[in-house]
Amino acid sequence: MTVLAHGVGSRTDLPIPLGLALYGAGAAILLSFVVLLLFWRRPKLDRTSSGTPVPAGAQRVLDSSAVRLGLQAVALAVAVLVTVVAVAGPAETSRNVAPWVLYVTFWVGLVPVSLLLGPVWRVVNPLRLVHRGLRVVLPAAPGAGRLPALGLWPATVSLLVFLWLELVYPDRADPTTVAAFLIGYAVVQLVLALWFGEEWFAAGDGFEVYSTVIARLSPWGRRDDGRLVLRNPLVNATVAPVDRGLVAVVVVLLGSTAFDGLSRTVFWQTGPGAANDSLSGTAGLLVMIGLVAGLYVLGARLSGRLAGQAEGVQPRRYAGTVIPIALGYTVAHYFSLFMLDGQTTWILASNPFGLAGVDLFGTYGNVVDLTAVTSDAIALVQVGAIVTGHVAGVTLAHERALLSARRARASDQLPLVIVMVLFTVGGLGLLFGF
Amino acid sequence: MTVRPSLLPAALGLVLAVGLTGCAGTAAPDSAGSSSSAAGTSATASGTAEAAGQRIEVQVAGGQVRGDTGRVPVTAGEHVTLVITSDVADEVHVHGYDLETALSPGQPAEIAFDATIPGVFEVELHEAGTLLLSLQVQ
Repeated sequence: MTVLAHGVGSRTDLPIPLGLALYGAGAAILLSFVVLLLFWRRPKLDRTSSGTPVPAGAQRVLDSSAVRLGLQAVALAVAVLVTVVAVAGPAETSRNVAPWVLYVTFWVGLVPVSLLLGPVWRVVNPLRLVHRGLRVVLPAAPGAGRLPALGLWPATVSLLVFLWLELVYPDRADPTTVAAFLIGYAVVQLVLALWFGEEWFAAGDGFEVYSTVIARLSPWGRRDDGRLVLRNPLVNATVAPVDRGLVAVVVVLLGSTAFDGLSRTVFWQTGPGAANDSLSGTAGLLVMIGLVAGLYVLGARLSGRLAGQAEGVQPRRYAGTVIPIALGYTVAHYFSLFMLDGQTTWILASNPFGLAGVDLFGTYGNVVDLTAVTSDAIALVQVGAIVTGHVAGVTLAHERALLSARRARASDQLPLVIVMVLFTVGGLGLLFGF
Repeated sequence: MTVRPSLLPAALGLVLAVGLTGCAGTAAPDSAGSSSSAAGTSATASGTAEAAGQRIEVQVAGGQVRGDTGRVPVTAGEHVTLVITSDVADEVHVHGYDLETALSPGQPAEIAFDATIPGVFEVELHEAGTLLLSLQVQ
């Protein structure tokens, strides 16, 4: 099979113009100082009681277990169908819808859906429904007491496995690989959920945690009285609890996207990644995650030291503030894949088993239009997403610093802000291709 | 100060709105002309008729690729002629443009097309999986 930067795809983006990269970097640096020096001097986002509640009737419907079970049942039916297509559908990736559903429509699509609608996958996760059915037979969850101590580390592991598959494993796009992953993932998750109880999914299902982490920046939140509210996403991101292991999740997401960008550069393709095998890919992925982790921990701890606070708690304290930066990277790297190669899903869904004469939606004869979004538009979205994520990140970090010390000095925040600028300039550099 | 935090979600939303509206237009019919059908493959046109445009030549021997390899820049809209010579039988695939042609040992094969789709596209051998070059169309 072909060797492409993402799981599947027929093209990669052009390098962004140098001018745009420089403007983006300049804007990021300038806006960082605007946030540090000119934004509010007292915490103002930490308002658990803020927000406009949705009508009580609407909340009752959205929160009702019947609606949730129904949505889970629909998601389960789709997941089973995709798995059956992966097993028994056409052998060629270009004709089999399963790889496109997994790597593009689901994995990339989860980002805009969670950002707009909140933690969607936690609500519709089909594994929760299967787990509920299995519970009837196996009522005891012997490991339930141990789960809280694990935090989000189990999800970090399952995300890492998926990202390795998506970005490194050479046969990732084969329908058989997708089938094996889907079945294996479901089995492992269900066994662990039976051991740890249903709460497992919120801590160990990588996709659910991914959706929940992105949803911290959605406009949907829970007020302290339990009401479902619409509010400023930055308030949501500030009041959301910082779970143990959130740092690891965020660092893995940011580092893996950085590796995806790196693997598309001429530098990588003709240098360290020239062998194009699992070994160089795995090493590259781990080095990028390690680099992001090292820089982030260093910046957070230095900021804590300047502020005269205990250094050990700092990386966890600021974990949520890096989410917008990781999100900006994600939009920048997967926007065009979703818009262009993502069309393949809707074409192949019209005839999932590749049978002669079948064309359910009348789209099977369509050809992917790789000119649907212009190169200029893609470059603007890429730079816009990176810079927007950066500004949101710096703003959240500023608020977090004020929350930890009412008279936090702007200069104390500088090390962390410099690290964020490095992430942003590095991200733009990867888009430019160095 | 005038920069209000509420602008940020608006900007995020804008990025998303662009994404969602564009998504609705699933696979418009082939606007790229002849390039997405396999009609562009011609194995014999080595005369002077196609002298215009860019000619890219690679040779494969013993698994090694020589000639115009790596990232090859192409101006969008230009006529491109790929000439591939391999020491073993295989099939060449130009991704994105989705053009294919068979290779016989020692026989130069040509793929000619108009580079109307911008982006970076890999040209590879199907059987061996060898990356010959990447076309950077801009």
